[in-house]
Amino acid sequence: MQGNCNRERASRNSKMKSSVKASVAILILYVLIALYSIGHAAKSDGNKKENQLGERVKQLSDWGSKRAVIKMNGDKYRQFVRMAPRNYSVIIMFTAMQPQRQCSVCQNVNDEFQIVANSWIYSPSYSNKLFFASVDYDEAPDVFNAMKVTAAPSIMHFPPKGKPKKNDVYDMQRLGIQAEVMVKWVTERTDIQIRIFRPPNYSGTITLGVLMLMVAGFLYFRRNNLEFLYNKTMWGVAALSIVFAMTSGQMWNHIRGPPYAHRNPQNGQVSYIHGSSQGQFVAETHIILLLNCAVTVGFIMMNKNPISEGDVRKRRVLTVIGLGLVVFFFSLILSIFRAKYRGYPYSFLIR
Amino acid sequence: MDLKYCNVKDSLPLFSSLPHNRFNYRATRHLVASSFHDFLNWFDDRAWYPLGRIVGGTVYPGLMVTSGAIHTILHALHIPVHIRDICVFLAPFFSGLTAIAGFALTRELWDTSAGLMAACFLAIVPGYISRSVAGSYDNEGIAIFALLFTYYLWIKAVKRGSVAWAAGTALSYFYMVSAWGGYVFIINLIPLHVCVLLLMGRYSQRIYVAFCTFFILGTLLSMQIPFVGFQPVRTSEHMAAAGTFVLLQAYAFLKYVQDYLTKQEFRSLFFFGVTGAAGAVFLGVVFLTYAGYVAPWSGRFYSLYDTGYAKIHIPIIASVSEHQPTTWASFFFDLHMLSCSFPAGLWFVIKDINDERVFIILYAMSAAYFAGVMVRLMLTLTPVVCILASICLSKTLNEYLVDDTPKKEKEQGEGEEIEEETEKKGRKLYDKAGKVRKIKPEPEKDSEGTGNNLRGFVVIAIMMMLMMFAVHCTWVTSNAYSSPSIVLASYSDDGTRVILDDFREAYYWLRQNTDEYARVMSWWDYGYQIAGMANRTTLVDNNTWNNSHIALVGKAMSSTEPKAYEIMKMLDVNYVLVIFGGVIGFSGDDINKFLWMVRIAEGEHPQDIRESDYFTTNGEFRVDKAGAPTLLNCLMYKMCYYRFGEVQNSIGYDRTRGVEIGNKDISFEHLEEAYTTQNWLVRIYKVLDVSNKEKVTNPTKKSKKKKFSSKKYGQVGPTLASSDPFPITIC
Repeated sequence: MQGNCNRERASRNSKMKSSVKASVAILILYVLIALYSIGHAAKSDGNKKENQLGERVKQLSDWGSKRAVIKMNGDKYRQFVRMAPRNYSVIIMFTAMQPQRQCSVCQNVNDEFQIVANSWIYSPSYSNKLFFASVDYDEAPDVFNAMKVTAAPSIMHFPPKGKPKKNDVYDMQRLGIQAEVMVKWVTERTDIQIRIFRPPNYSGTITLGVLMLMVAGFLYFRRNNLEFLYNKTMWGVAALSIVFAMTSGQMWNHIRGPPYAHRNPQNGQVSYIHGSSQGQFVAETHIILLLNCAVTVGFIMMNKNPISEGDVRKRRVLTVIGLGLVVFFFSLILSIFRAKYRGYPYSFLIR
Repeated sequence: MDLKYCNVKDSLPLFSSLPHNRFNYRATRHLVASSFHDFLNWFDDRAWYPLGRIVGGTVYPGLMVTSGAIHTILHALHIPVHIRDICVFLAPFFSGLTAIAGFALTRELWDTSAGLMAACFLAIVPGYISRSVAGSYDNEGIAIFALLFTYYLWIKAVKRGSVAWAAGTALSYFYMVSAWGGYVFIINLIPLHVCVLLLMGRYSQRIYVAFCTFFILGTLLSMQIPFVGFQPVRTSEHMAAAGTFVLLQAYAFLKYVQDYLTKQEFRSLFFFGVTGAAGAVFLGVVFLTYAGYVAPWSGRFYSLYDTGYAKIHIPIIASVSEHQPTTWASFFFDLHMLSCSFPAGLWFVIKDINDERVFIILYAMSAAYFAGVMVRLMLTLTPVVCILASICLSKTLNEYLVDDTPKKEKEQGEGEEIEEETEKKGRKLYDKAGKVRKIKPEPEKDSEGTGNNLRGFVVIAIMMMLMMFAVHCTWVTSNAYSSPSIVLASYSDDGTRVILDDFREAYYWLRQNTDEYARVMSWWDYGYQIAGMANRTTLVDNNTWNNSHIALVGKAMSSTEPKAYEIMKMLDVNYVLVIFGGVIGFSGDDINKFLWMVRIAEGEHPQDIRESDYFTTNGEFRVDKAGAPTLLNCLMYKMCYYRFGEVQNSIGYDRTRGVEIGNKDISFEHLEEAYTTQNWLVRIYKVLDVSNKEKVTNPTKKSKKKKFSSKKYGQVGPTLASSDPFPITIC
């Protein structure tokens, strides 16, 4: 479904470009739906209508109390979302959660959507004005067709009166899938404030706890032989790895989430180095990490160390290797930097 | 020698003899003109109109007091120096002091030759030179000196265990607190050092004396700064130090009890005592935080830990380019060869550890983390990188430069001095053993020639790299940091320099042609400049303490003209100033910053401003015909592109965005173009009074509007008052 999603998205984009056709189609559809619902509504008299509304709201809040996101199929959708007299908003997530679809994005969006829905259910201002629901493609393809939803996952707001407008479609590509942003959008559309309550993520805490326990247990079993704690090499490697991770910009990757490498769509060439000094790819930072590492190792080799203690030939070989590492890899870093930083004039050995 | 390097730095950027940070300069002028107490009580009614700002209580006064003191001393000696010159040359002067402090610190940690090298690096390293060029009049310039000097005194105190050195540390810490919000780094790093020393079993009386003296004096002294006040006992940032203090008492007590107990008894008591004390401290802090006695971590510090926090909750922090995470390229740009050689220094220090070296390891690791999260904190990483890289390089050079054969004349240029000094000191003071060992085995095994050759190669290679570093620093300084932000320099194709002086032109115009009490609205980036250079009242400025006020300005900029006019009338604005780079291709202009204005406005006024309205249906931000209609009709767009379609053969081609603009038919109803500078970089508009004509033609509408605006004004008051009562400077 991953690939599917992309294709669908692409087709949606192209459709947007030929928007005239699409908008005409949507218009016709809306008119049809409106006629249908008007006709449907006209069948019942006013009193019954109100009863029906009350019943439906009751039914919905019944379901809502059982699970935050109400699962909808075609019938339910028509009855509760499309039928005319409504005094509530419905936020529907169109998704494809079946395992054979392999839509990993759907799963992520679903998680965030659940958080939003749960926060709403448990919020003090909870009322019957807003419901969250989801429609799965494999259970109700007709709904997808009716709403012209071509991409999953997508999220739509159905206002109490009228049809969803342009802004009632959640722009996932631009806004992202974070619950906080979704809530902002929901507030925008419905004027209902929801405070996000994220169920605290215990997995991190548990991992940490288990890790601590393991370390403690390990120390306990080795309590008679704690020499390794005084092993400076171990501490040194740990400290250096933190420093290397930071100076090669892993924190930037963590915050910005760049792609691993860039594949040029025209000729299929893969570039590992970002063209500007303002950005970087993950692969690039790994390369730089290794290069920095090599230079550092070179410096360490050039100095006295236990391996070459007393043996002049060994020491000499190590010095040559160390010098080679330092000079070669440093000039490599410099040349990469030069390629990234336009107008930088200096280079060393390698251009 | 390091002073010579500083001189190189001084002579480079004497481009404009004006301090860049206009606010600091203005405050200093005020301090010199009045007394110290007047300065502390200064209420600045020319900023944050109509709120004003209590400067004395919301500023770190160290910088102003330092230059004020220098001014007073010089005048007492009958040397008539203008305060402006002191402000301009304060940063280079302090960078010289920083180099000396770096030398002293490295000497305490390693040896003299490494110290000299560290001083050289500190004098020219690009990561620090941005704050130490002449004319850069920032808190950070003096704060880095205070930071390093405090650390030097702390190391001395730990080594000696004397109250005098520890009291010195506290005094130096006091100076740091008065200068920069980054003092929190010291008050967390030193307790961390003590804790790690305890964990390593390196407790001693010296540490006890040093830390207790420092903590008590330092806390008391830091509370004397009005801006800091009771924070040292009321906020989480300072609780680590207090907790360590308690823990140290418990530890010392147990050590004392040790003398009276058997080994077995003591073991169990010790274990339970220390874990109990640590647990009690931790729970105590947690309890106090929950009970409200201790404020939890403030957002600005919390965003250092949880890196996604600021992006969602504090757009004003996320909008500043200095608060972005750091790419490897900018690490390399600021540190060059030091960035790949300092880990080796760290390795050597770990391999040969003692009490004070634990400190530099912790400093290196924490500063590396912070620098990775925020570009701005590169400044705190730079000194430790210089120190560790100098340890690495001087150790290597010591090993290969010790030679009986005549001195090498291969090295030239910049490296010469370093190497000469290194060698002299190295020979005189230490490493006798290494020298002996190296000379001894070589004649035995191999011919001496190859050994010498190899040594020569190593030395040449390192010298080459040092030279690369020196030219890199010179290049960076002359290209990136020396030209003041107020004057833009561009290079034409034949290499001649064209100077764009539009900012000063505009500020001069404002100063000469507008009423003395005119209110100028602009985005907050230019607040200090307008206040300092044009001497006019501003609405928002670089001290971003009131988010709702900034959001209001952002809302005015991103609304349509009539709506913006309401806000501007409400805020009593006379002139609006925008920066527009479309003519010359200047990328830091207001259109490129515009989305941040929208975002910040949206944060406070979600009903009126929606970021999605400013994007096209495909989610793009475009200023050409395909752009979102909301964008093409908002005030900022109109002010930037007013009559832009008429120039350049009526194309209206925006060189920054590289597109033809979408809305060329712009006219104003309530505004009037007042002034546009030579290169269109700054455009100033006059806000017109409510016109007579309109009132007559459409009286009902007008009166309605007026009523609405006054109602609005009533709404605004409480919003402003309810916002964060603690003014915060970006630390």
